[in-house]
Amino acid sequence: MENIMLPSPHKILSIVKETQAEYTFRVAYEGETKHGQFFQLSIPKVGEAPISVSGKGEGYIEFTIRKIGRLTQGIFGLQPGDVLFMRGPYGNAFPVDQFKGKDLVVICGGTGMAPVKTLLNHFYDHPEEGKSVHLICGFKDLGCVLFTEEIEKFKGKFHVIPTLDNSSAPGFETGMVTAHIGKIPFNSFEDYNVVIVGPPVMMRFAALECVKHGVPEDKIWVSFERRMSCAVGKCGHCKINETYVCLEGPVFNYSRARELLD
Amino acid sequence: MMISKAESRGRADLYRLLSRLYEREADQALLDSLRGLSLPEDNDDLKQGAAALRDYLAAAGPDAVDELAVDYAAVFLAAGSAEGAAALPCESVYTSPRRIFMQEAWEQVCRLYAGKGLGRAEGRADLMEDHLALELAFQGWLVDNGTVREQKSFLESHLLNWLPAFAADVDKYGRTPFYKAVTRITLGFLALERGLLEGLESGELSMARSFSVRNDRLAPILARLKEQYRVFAPKRFPKRGLKGADLIRYGEIDALTDIVYKEKSHLSAKEVFYPVSQTLFRFNGEECTQEEPADGREIILLARPCDINAVRRLDTIFLRNGQPDLYYARMREKLHLFLLECKEGFDNCFCVSMGSNVALDYEAAVRIDDICALVEVKNEAFLPYFQDEVPIDFAPEFVSENRRAARVPEIRREQLAEITVLDYWKQFDDKCIGCGGCNTACPTCSCFDTVDVIYHETSRDGERRRVWSGCMLEDFTRTAGGALARKTPGANMRFKVLHKIFDFKLRFGEEHMCVGCGRCIDRCPKDIDYLDAINGLSDLLAGKEG
Ligand SMILES: Cc1cc2nc3c(=O)[nH]c(=O)nc-3n(C[C@H](O)[C@H](O)[C@H](O)COP(=O)(O)OP(=O)(O)OC[C@H]3O[C@@H](n4cnc5c(N)ncnc54)[C@H](O)[C@@H]3O)c2cc1C
Ligand code: SF4
Ligand code: SF4
Ligand code: FES
Repeated sequence: MENIMLPSPHKILSIVKETQAEYTFRVAYEGETKHGQFFQLSIPKVGEAPISVSGKGEGYIEFTIRKIGRLTQGIFGLQPGDVLFMRGPYGNAFPVDQFKGKDLVVICGGTGMAPVKTLLNHFYDHPEEGKSVHLICGFKDLGCVLFTEEIEKFKGKFHVIPTLDNSSAPGFETGMVTAHIGKIPFNSFEDYNVVIVGPPVMMRFAALECVKHGVPEDKIWVSFERRMSCAVGKCGHCKINETYVCLEGPVFNYSRARELLD
Repeated sequence: MMISKAESRGRADLYRLLSRLYEREADQALLDSLRGLSLPEDNDDLKQGAAALRDYLAAAGPDAVDELAVDYAAVFLAAGSAEGAAALPCESVYTSPRRIFMQEAWEQVCRLYAGKGLGRAEGRADLMEDHLALELAFQGWLVDNGTVREQKSFLESHLLNWLPAFAADVDKYGRTPFYKAVTRITLGFLALERGLLEGLESGELSMARSFSVRNDRLAPILARLKEQYRVFAPKRFPKRGLKGADLIRYGEIDALTDIVYKEKSHLSAKEVFYPVSQTLFRFNGEECTQEEPADGREIILLARPCDINAVRRLDTIFLRNGQPDLYYARMREKLHLFLLECKEGFDNCFCVSMGSNVALDYEAAVRIDDICALVEVKNEAFLPYFQDEVPIDFAPEFVSENRRAARVPEIRREQLAEITVLDYWKQFDDKCIGCGGCNTACPTCSCFDTVDVIYHETSRDGERRRVWSGCMLEDFTRTAGGALARKTPGANMRFKVLHKIFDFKLRFGEEHMCVGCGRCIDRCPKDIDYLDAINGLSDLLAGKEG
């Protein structure tokens, strides 16, 4: 029987400092992952935490991690060549097949851009699979902006609205992501999907705002962040009602997500 | 002469087949299976019935199913008879003076079924409990699960007492030879069964699986068992409990006198196979090495019916919710469950209302008193330990009444939004201190945290453990940065109550998570009564509906 709690070592290939508190770690990895999935990363002695795959390529995957507590601090102390312990991938994924041939709107805030970035790159690399892509990505201020180069790159093919919560800077709008949802030409779409990922409050208000603009609930997809100890349906931490976020999530259709009540 | 297991299986199968024949109209598949059937031919009824059945089936044409449906309706449902003249297949009809349904016999069998924890069988809700189909099915169940005495008693007082009169009616009202033959076979088979059971009871035939063991003889048996198994039972730990009282929890026993059987254990049996703290793997800087169990011996666990039923719930989480968990699975494989009979319920027990007073998936059952132990052995691997003891007819009895009962509300998923925001939960905000004692005591709580332990500050060596956690702890849902998904003790109480009596069953079907052991109530330092919490919710919801 496979030991689902046992992590294996993976070498860190490179580290990119995105912001003061967010680094992207490129880690050696062979294998498939789907858009929106996550791994349990750990450092022995420190602990374990769920982190989404933010990028992937030949022989590696990337994690973009925000330094916030014990484990993430520990990871920030690692250097290229050190090992990171991992198990996964876990969780479901964004239903890319359902997105094919339709317009796509992605609304994300802060580190919430990490789990949707491979999805965005998929449609960037395969424009023939999608239609239009609208991206609203919000950050607190200029110092918090992630993935600057890729956002520039996305502007080549997508409609991108980068925004800062309450400051202004060249190339950025000002205001929360919710303030820009009205700019999405929902009426001109034939069929479309909306992906929202970010802090819980942001997801709630962005979803409400979309619904206000006539987006049907079942066209909206969100990704949940919960306390997780096991990621394999055993420890109980991520459970909401009859649903285990680590097994049935983290991606949920909003029509289901709104029935999950804490 | 010994009766083998295979023979018992054949007997139970024939009861089930006959039950099916009376239950509803025959279909083609049933007729086909009858064609290939080999029946015992030990008496005239069996011989002649089998011959008549064979003849009918040989001559039966394509419309046999329709013909038999008409016959079934006429014989057993009185279709087409103005006076209701038919062979109505319910015991009450044949044993009550006015020949009507739901009389004394019906009440008796209802009680018998309930005493065994059997509800109405799926798809048979339209049949009376004393319908021949259900009585035969029950007798088949007894062959598998009951004692010889129980089988004989049910056969004599609830089948043979009315079958001859009923058979005469089938002869009178039957239009085809089919049901006449089936009834004949039934009569013959029941007569054969009576002979067999008499033989077993008198000892001419034997199937001894139950023994009476004097306590002084138990000690060497325990010693022999301990050579091969680790034996766990509830033990007393003086002055280690709440407020300086004794603590009764599970531990490995050395002597019989270690077993505390007159009280309820404060902690459940789960810690034996799902330890409070368990090393998952050890690490150094480079690799993680899976922890192997220190003791490879198998485990005998003496557990109450509620605890045995709780094992199934833990299995559901650890083995069926997502991929199976290796650490749990390998302990579970080693586990041999011995049922420790409950004489009567204890304070705060409400297992009967949760349907978990009866547990049948045990390998042996034990009734202990100060002089001797009665033992029923189901797993033959344990027979050699007991074979020299005095054979008796013993099967454990189960508590059928508690002083307290749960009224579990029937909650619909759509009601959750309304239940979530009830003010009702706020009563726990000021009372509950979030100590998690209730989770610790509960046999079905399965949640854990993982923690890394280092041997000393400067070394790279250490281990990852998992340790019990619980949804009543304040930090259970805390995510990085400090946000809590559930913020108050009331919200935690709602989560726990609904998990135990609503959403576990919603997710996995079958059964509620709570087995009604009442340990969470016994354990709470703030006298929060979980059963009152369930019943209060029930009343509140009933009030709202009404
Ligand atoms: C599906 C998923 C995907 C995610 N993807 C990303 C991502 O791509 N990038 C990213 O930056 N973050 C991501 N996160 C969030 C990330 O998992 C957390 O930021 C991370 O757990 C922080 O770990 P930490 O040890 O640094 O924080 P800490 O706050 O130190 O602890 C981590 C968790 O353990 C708990 N904890 C720690 N110590 C204790 C203790 N002693 N007692 C009780 N509880 C304790 C905390 O409450 C917290 O929930 C994701 C989360 C989920 C669920
Ligand atoms: S919730 Fe309470 S009564 Fe139910 S099984 Fe757990 S400890 Fe026993
Ligand atoms: S209900 Fe009682 S036992 Fe459970 S956490 Fe609250 S105070 Fe502790
Ligand atoms: S994270 Fe452990 S059950 Fe989902």
